[in-house]
Amino acid sequence: MIIHANVFSYVIALAAALILSLVLRLPLLPERPMRQSWTISAVFPTAILAIGFYAMVYELGYQGYIVALITGIITALFAKFILEKVVPLPESDNPEEESHE
Amino acid sequence: MNEILGIILAAVISWVNFVLIDTWMGLPEAPGVKGADVIGRSIKERGGDLAGGFFQGNIVCSPDASAGTLLAAVGCYAIGTPEGGLIAAVLVYFGNRLCADPGYAGTTGALTITVIIFLTSYIGFKPEYFIMGMVLAIVTIQGLYHPGASRLLGKIAEKMGRHTKLT
Repeated sequence: MIIHANVFSYVIALAAALILSLVLRLPLLPERPMRQSWTISAVFPTAILAIGFYAMVYELGYQGYIVALITGIITALFAKFILEKVVPLPESDNPEEESHE
Repeated sequence: MNEILGIILAAVISWVNFVLIDTWMGLPEAPGVKGADVIGRSIKERGGDLAGGFFQGNIVCSPDASAGTLLAAVGCYAIGTPEGGLIAAVLVYFGNRLCADPGYAGTTGALTITVIIFLTSYIGFKPEYFIMGMVLAIVTIQGLYHPGASRLLGKIAEKMGRHTKLT
């Protein structure tokens, strides 16, 4: 069976994002019931974002294992420190913000 | 593969993909935003099912598996498989979060249809079949007869244990 080298790049991006986000103490999975959870975890959305971001840089012409590794690392840092600020919780789901009203 | 047959089969696959994922992710259980609540209750008043109405309201108000399926098909057509579908999944996630939705349904729908497009490409399906198929699939839910579609969605929700507890 032939596996395209690009598949390994996606695996590297995904693994790097998963491992670094766990090191950064993001939970592995959101709490149950997951479908109602807003928690940012290692699997969702960090791993999904990692392969999506790698697809973006791949299409922009930057390819290879090192690029995949860097994409995974940046995605984990983005998920940990920036994502909540870019797309915050809606006010009704955020008890802290509600208490200020 | 014959184009018309391909579009019809793609419509069926897309319909099953987004309805099952959206139901599994709890769209019929409760309205995510006020607009979905209004749509659900309006459909119920016209003889529909409340859970099915919430489903229809939710897919209007935020990009769920229906939008994920359509955008991933568009991405695969415009950029390539699987890159287009993976990029679509990221964009759908951000769209979800901006629409007061945690983003599980939309992202899952985009990823599953990307896998389906990749696998069905071996038997002659093209991404454009899934774009057209998804448009047809969403017309059957949102464009023909709301009360009838909501009753069908309500029955599916009941079978999957996702019927609403609200009245």
